Amino acid sequence: MTPQIKKSVADIPEDPIVVEVQGHSNFLVTIGNTGHEFLSQIRDNKTIMGIKCAGCKNVYVPPRSHCPTCFAKLTEWVKLSGKGTLETYTIVRYKEPYMPKEPPYAYGVIKLDGATTGIVHLIGGVDLNKIKVGMKMEPVFKEQREGSILDIEYFKPVG
Amino acid sequence: MILKKEEPQDPSVAFRYPRVITYKHSLGYQSKFAHALKMGRIIATKCPVDGRCTVPPRIVCPMHHVRQTEWVDQGQRGKLLSAFKINFPMFDSRTGDLKSWETPIVSIELEGGARMDGWCAETDTEKLKPGMVLEAVWRPPEERKGRVDDILYWKPV
Amino acid sequence: MTGERIAIVGVGQTVHKSKRTDVNTGELCAEAVEAALADAQLTIKDIDCVILGSFEPADGYSGPDKFIIPEIGCVGKAGFEMQNVGTTGAVACATAFNMAASGLFENVLCVAWQKMDEAAGAFGRGGGGANEYWTGQFPMSPITNFARRTYDYMTRSGCTEEHLAMVRVKQDQCAQRNKYAQLKLGLTVERVMGDFLLAWPIRRLHMCPTTAGSAAIVVCPEKRAKKVTKKPVWVEDWFTCHQGGALTMAEDPQASTLGYACKKIYKRHGITNPKKEIQAWEVYEPASTAELRWMEEVGVAEDYKAWKLFVEGKVGIEKEIPFNPSGGVTATNPIGATPVVRVVEAALQVRGDAEEHQIPGTINRALATGYGGQGENVVFLLKKTL
Repeated sequence: MTPQIKKSVADIPEDPIVVEVQGHSNFLVTIGNTGHEFLSQIRDNKTIMGIKCAGCKNVYVPPRSHCPTCFAKLTEWVKLSGKGTLETYTIVRYKEPYMPKEPPYAYGVIKLDGATTGIVHLIGGVDLNKIKVGMKMEPVFKEQREGSILDIEYFKPVG
Repeated sequence: MILKKEEPQDPSVAFRYPRVITYKHSLGYQSKFAHALKMGRIIATKCPVDGRCTVPPRIVCPMHHVRQTEWVDQGQRGKLLSAFKINFPMFDSRTGDLKSWETPIVSIELEGGARMDGWCAETDTEKLKPGMVLEAVWRPPEERKGRVDDILYWKPV
Repeated sequence: MTGERIAIVGVGQTVHKSKRTDVNTGELCAEAVEAALADAQLTIKDIDCVILGSFEPADGYSGPDKFIIPEIGCVGKAGFEMQNVGTTGAVACATAFNMAASGLFENVLCVAWQKMDEAAGAFGRGGGGANEYWTGQFPMSPITNFARRTYDYMTRSGCTEEHLAMVRVKQDQCAQRNKYAQLKLGLTVERVMGDFLLAWPIRRLHMCPTTAGSAAIVVCPEKRAKKVTKKPVWVEDWFTCHQGGALTMAEDPQASTLGYACKKIYKRHGITNPKKEIQAWEVYEPASTAELRWMEEVGVAEDYKAWKLFVEGKVGIEKEIPFNPSGGVTATNPIGATPVVRVVEAALQVRGDAEEHQIPGTINRALATGYGGQGENVVFLLKKTL
């Protein structure tokens, strides 16, 4: 080992420092064949499809390739009306990066008629203070659709 | 170019979601090291058991599990241990940009005994021989941020 | 040793490809789970514990187990996810082994995956395990780490770039006989030596690819294992060992935990001549050049002389040292799943089920390892009979 440098370190401050670091990411999400069929139907036909498990008799929306409970391969598609019941909702009032809309906005779980699972989506076309659990809802599709879940602009109360 | 960034065309098949997230890290015990860098000095903690100095400094010796309270100045020069150059574009994790890296990275043993990495002024790796003495070239004092890249590069003496 | 003795009763993996645009991450795992269950002749209802493993920053998901579990039909089962960079799959396997050995579970499923066509390329923050703040100025990755290691190895051993190319060609020859491997290129020494240089001496062909793939195993305690299958692969032991990461590498380019881990495991089982006492090797090598040093650390070659064995033609599936008969990580690397693929391949060798890349003769013992980008190692010892 080389001779140590005999310079004093006493004059170097010890105050704690906090540094800001930025993390950048640009990940890709692959939808898969099952999801692609679901989104294509929304884009091309303004239709919401579910998928049925013959064994469990459950209809899943959004659809998936295997049954979450019994792991059977799912192939039976079911066309849904798109209408449903609002099971629960919340109104977002705070701001955070990467939100789909400027707050305040509402989103909730809508149990579509004919499906076993609820679907999470935005609620619109209604005064935020007038939203009630149990309301009948229907989807409002965008004019320009590209094959994304946001091709459904929001769910609004029927009538 | 090795890495291709394909832009997905159809979001029903695949889509990208770019994100920038800011983190705040507390340096803690290592704050003194950061202050020293701003002053143009490299300091290291010394293990009371075997006398080894480590950069960056650590509050506890990784091998002997004892607190390291002694700080030792490491000088301004070091001996070259090994060098390599990156020949292809790689991501700079600080900015997310894909960029080329022109200068070699060197491993150095400092005068005080600690070892660290740095950039090297000599771009021809043929000229870099283990054992060569290199000297630190610092950023101007007003540009220093208390980061290891306050040492701009190491140049052969 | 306390706890139940345990065996692997079923293994499965996907056919590894660089891109899988037809499936999402969950569906990819479902393929491996189906394969493992079919191999074990069990159904998902038999599984009572599931351990998942994925190198999260590479796919960009935080806590992916939440959406993978429904995709593999495991809603309501006990279990959790493990993550540890390169050794993710290995620590997931080790955890699954622990769960089976505890006697609390009868059929433990371990599934690991990586879908690297979705990666952003920046390897998450802190690229490759480097300490973000101090080494973040450098583009740290396995490429640069192994460039440094290999250069150091060449200096100490006197081997040349041609010898490094011989190792890569051997890997490719093995991969061509493995129907699950991703890269099957028909390589020659000349092609490897002339390939694009990433960071000397590492050329593009030396490095592992990016892969979309998944692998799964089913583990049972002794009594259950004997009921489920006639060919259980007994897990004799495992050992995990970490070191200081990129900061340690700056101090010693050859710093490695593999030799240390192997010595410990050999001592526990009285293995004094690994070359004779272990007949199959699936040792995780992120760059083909790493094989040289790994062969020395596990004890089948003398220090800094492994390259000579390639010159003498002694390494290969039917040769004296059957190292990485599956083609290794150099042919296939879905990061989170890769150590599980090593365990799957080692188990297939012990059972005699590796088809075209089966090592001839009786495989009584196999060694499988998982390696993490900064020198972590997890070592598994598998046995044919109790």
